Amino acid sequence: MRRPSSFAPILALAALGASALALSCSQEHHVDHAGIFILGVDGMDPVILQRLMDQGKAPNFKKLAADGGFENLGTSNPPQSPVAWSNFVTGMDPGGHGIYDFVHRDPKTYLPISSATPPPGDPGTSVKVGGYYLPIIAGDDILNNRSGTPWWDVLYGAGVDVEVYRVPGNYPVTASEAKTLSGMGTVDMRGGYGVYTWITDKPPVTLPGHELKGDVQLVTVEDFDLDGKGDTVKALIKGAPDLFHLPPGEAPHDSDYLTVPLTVSIDPDAPTALLTVGDEKVLLREGEWSDWVKVSFDALPHGAMALGGAVRFYAKELRPGFKLYVSPVNLDAEDSPQPISTPDDFAPDLAEALGGQFYSQGMPEETNALKDGTFDDDDYVKQVALVQHDAESMLGVALARFQRGDATFFYLSDVDLQCHMLWRHGDPKYADAPHHPAWEEGAAAKHAMDIEGYYENVDRLVGNLRARLPEDTLLLVMSDHGFQPYTREVHLNSWLRDHGYLTLKDGKRTGKIVLGDVDWSKTQAYALGFNALYINEQGREAQGIVPKADVPALEDKLSADLLGFTDPAAPDKHVVLRMFKGAEIYHGARAGDAPDLVVGYDKGFGHSDASTLGEIVEPEIEDNTSRWSGNHLMAPEVVPGVLLSNHKLGGGDPNLTDVTATVLAWYGLAPLPEMIGKPVFTP
Amino acid sequence: MGLFNRICTAIFDVLLAPFGHGRPWFDLVLWPLVGGILALLVIKAVSNQAGITRAKNFIQVHLLEVVLFRDDLRTVLPATVKSLGYNVLYLGYNIVPMVIMFVPMTAILVQLVSNYAYAPLPVGSTALVVAKLDADVGGVTPADVKLDLPEGVSLDAPPVRTPDGEVAWRLRLDAPGDHVLTLHAGAATETKTLAVGGEPRKVSVLRTKSWEALLYPAEAVPSAESPFEEISIQARKDQAMPFFPDGESGILGWFFGVSLLAGFLLKDLFGVTL
Repeated sequence: MRRPSSFAPILALAALGASALALSCSQEHHVDHAGIFILGVDGMDPVILQRLMDQGKAPNFKKLAADGGFENLGTSNPPQSPVAWSNFVTGMDPGGHGIYDFVHRDPKTYLPISSATPPPGDPGTSVKVGGYYLPIIAGDDILNNRSGTPWWDVLYGAGVDVEVYRVPGNYPVTASEAKTLSGMGTVDMRGGYGVYTWITDKPPVTLPGHELKGDVQLVTVEDFDLDGKGDTVKALIKGAPDLFHLPPGEAPHDSDYLTVPLTVSIDPDAPTALLTVGDEKVLLREGEWSDWVKVSFDALPHGAMALGGAVRFYAKELRPGFKLYVSPVNLDAEDSPQPISTPDDFAPDLAEALGGQFYSQGMPEETNALKDGTFDDDDYVKQVALVQHDAESMLGVALARFQRGDATFFYLSDVDLQCHMLWRHGDPKYADAPHHPAWEEGAAAKHAMDIEGYYENVDRLVGNLRARLPEDTLLLVMSDHGFQPYTREVHLNSWLRDHGYLTLKDGKRTGKIVLGDVDWSKTQAYALGFNALYINEQGREAQGIVPKADVPALEDKLSADLLGFTDPAAPDKHVVLRMFKGAEIYHGARAGDAPDLVVGYDKGFGHSDASTLGEIVEPEIEDNTSRWSGNHLMAPEVVPGVLLSNHKLGGGDPNLTDVTATVLAWYGLAPLPEMIGKPVFTP
Repeated sequence: MGLFNRICTAIFDVLLAPFGHGRPWFDLVLWPLVGGILALLVIKAVSNQAGITRAKNFIQVHLLEVVLFRDDLRTVLPATVKSLGYNVLYLGYNIVPMVIMFVPMTAILVQLVSNYAYAPLPVGSTALVVAKLDADVGGVTPADVKLDLPEGVSLDAPPVRTPDGEVAWRLRLDAPGDHVLTLHAGAATETKTLAVGGEPRKVSVLRTKSWEALLYPAEAVPSAESPFEEISIQARKDQAMPFFPDGESGILGWFFGVSLLAGFLLKDLFGVTL
C-alpha cells in the first residue's frame, strides 16, 4: 500500500510538467501571414547611399530599390535619435510620446535632466545599520519617459510573434509581452552611458579644450622581483554605485562605487601581460583586445548580493609606458542586475545563442576615448570592428529565429557613430568640401574612406537578409535621419548673452547654469539640450520673469533674431535655417512638456556640447575641432533619413510615423487613434 | 590523498558512463539515488530513530502551541524556545550519520563532477594554461619553466612569467585529442592533459598539491618534491542537466536535490524516520 503513494508525487510532477508544456505550446504566437523584417540603420543618409548605389558600391541596396523602392524618409523635429526612433516606435510626434531631446530642463531648478529616464521623484527610505543603509520603504522606480503604445505591443496583441533588437529609447524596457532587447540609452554598471577606464603610468595628453570623459587611473608599474623591470600593476575596476553606503537619492561621488581589484603582471621580456580579475585570468599581447571578462561586484559582504558585469580589455602599451583600456562595465547579459529585455530571459537566451556576453551598453562604440585622445583612429576602428562583429552575430541569431509571419526589428548603430567620429577625415557627402577643422593629415590618408566601408558593410548585410528571409517577407530598411558635416559649433547661450536675452551674475561673461551663474531676474531665455530654447516664463520657471502673455511676441523676436544670425567667418552663411515654435509643431497629451522654441540649424552648424548643458563661454561660434565631426542636430529638412523596401512604395514624402502605420497595416491592423502616420503603401 | 583519489577513480572509471559521457542522465539519476538509499541505510543503522521520532513530535507539539496560543506571550515564548531546543536535538541525532556519509557522498559527487561538469575545449579556440611554482620547494624560477607542446596545440602568445611564481601560456587548439602538455622546471618534469574537441568525456582542469586535489581526482597529484604547486587550464563548463547551472554547482545542486528527494520518497519503504 505504501509504494504507490511514494510515487504519487513523481506522477503529480510529471502531470504538472506535461500540462505546462501543453500550455506553453498553446500560447505560442504565430500568424499565417507574410512577416516583416525591419533593419534600422541609424544615421544612413540618402545622398551618400544614392552615390554609392550609382558607383556600384552598394549593389544590394540598388537591387532592393529597383525591386521595391527608395525614398527619403522625413525625420523628427528635432532630428535626434531618441526622438526620431520614439516617433517610429509610437507613431506619434514628441507631443505624444514626450521625448523632445537627449536632455531637457527641470523648470524648478533650471538643471538639465535626462529626457529618457528622469530621476525618480521619491528615492525611498532607508535606516542606517552598522554603516549600511538598509531600504525599508522602496522608492519610485526609474521609468522610461516615453509615452504611447509601441507598435510591437499592438502586433503582439494581434497574435504576431515580435522581436525587437536594440531599438533606441527602449531603456528601461517598457513592460511588454513581445521580445525586446534594450538599445541606445541602456546604461553601464555605473549608471551612465558608458565610462571607460584608462589605466596608465603617465597622465594622458588630451585634445585642446577637451574635458576627459574617461576615468583615468594613474598607477605605478611596481618591480616586485627587483630585477630592474617593472612587472606588476594594481588597479581597480569601478562598478555600480555602492547604494548600501549611500543615503537614498544621493548622487555617488568618485569614491562611492563598488570596485574589484585588477592585477596586471607584465612579462620581463615579452610584450605580454596576465590580467587577473576575480577568478578570471586573461593573457594579452601588447595591442590586443580581450574577449569579454566577467566581473562581479559585491554589494553586500560575502557575495550575499553580487552584481554581475562584463568588460573588455585593450593592452594599448605594456612597455616602456603602460596604457591599459578597460571598457565600461556592461551589464551581464546572462544575469543582468536590472532588466534589459522583455521577458527577462530574452537577453540570457540571446547570450546563450551567441556563446556568451554581448555589448549590452546602449552606445557601445568607444567614441569617448577617441574624443579624449586616449584612442587614436586605429584603436577606435578596431573597437568598432568588435561591436560590428557582435551586432552581425546577433543579426544572425535574429534571422535564425525568424519564421514566416513574424515581425522583427533589428538596429545597427555603426553608420551613425562612424559618421559622427570619422567625417573629419573625408567628407562622404560633398566631394568638393574643404578640409574639416578637425582634419588630421596622417589619419585622414588612412581613414578617409572608412565611412563608405561601413555603408558597404550594411549593403552586404542587406544582401544576406534578402537571401535568407522567407520570400514573401516585407523587408524595410530605414534610418532615423541623415547626416551633414559639423564644422562650426554654436554656443547658443553665449549668443543669447550677447543679444541681451541672458544675463550672468556680477557682470561675468562666462559661467554655467548648473553653478548658479545666471541672473534669472534679468534673463528672458536660455538654451538646454541640443536644439531647445526655453523662455524664462513667469509662473512656470522657478524665477521666471516673462509674463505668459508676452511669450508669443518674445518667441517671434527671438526667432527673427536667430534667423538673422550669420557666421562671422562667412557672413553670407546663415547659422539657423528654421525656427519652430513648440506649441505649433507638436500634438498630443504631452505637448505641454515641449521646449518653447526648437532651433533648426543649417548644414554645417550645430549646438556646442557646452551650450547643451547650459554653459556660457566667450565666443558665440567657433570652429568645431572635436573629433565628433559629423552631425544631424539641424533643421529636419537638411537631414532626411532613408526608407527602402522590397515592396513598391507609394511616394508622398513618407516620415517616421508613416512607417509605424505601414507596419501595422501589413498585418491588416489600423493605427491607434493617437498615431498620426499613414501607411506608405497599401498591402 | 593521491592513493584515495587513485582508488576512487579506478572504481568509478569502471562504473560511470556505461552509455558514454554524452548521456549523463543515467549516472546523474542513478548515483544520487544510490546516495539517497545509502543515506537511509546509514541513518537507519547508526541514528537514534526513536530519539528522532520523539524530537520531531516535540517540535510539532510546540509549534502547535505557538499557533494555538499566539496571543499569549507567556505560552508562545517558552514553546518557541523548546521548539528550537528540539530542533538542535534533532540535528544532533543526525550528526553521526552525516559524518559517516560525508566520505562516500563526497567521493561520488567528486567523480560525477570530474566526468560531467566540464566539456573539452573547442578546436580552433584558445586556452590559458597556468603553472604555479611551489615556493617551499624552491630552486627554480619562472624563467626556468619550459613547455613542450604536442602536435595539435600551438603557442598563441609568448608566455607571461609573474613575480609571484606563475607562468601562463595562451595556447591555440588546432586539433582534437587528449593532448599531453609537458612542463619542465630545471630537472623536474610534469604533464598536464588538455582535452580538445571530440566526444564528451572526462576533463581534467587542475593538478594540484593542495587539499583541492580531492576535488579534482582526474589526474595524479604532483609529488611533494615537484617544483610545481599546481597546473591549471581554463575550463569550459558543461550543463549536465537542463535547468541547472553549468559546471560543478549544477551537478552539486542536482545531486543533493535528487538524493534528498529519493530519501524522502523511499524513507517509508526502508522504515526510516527522517
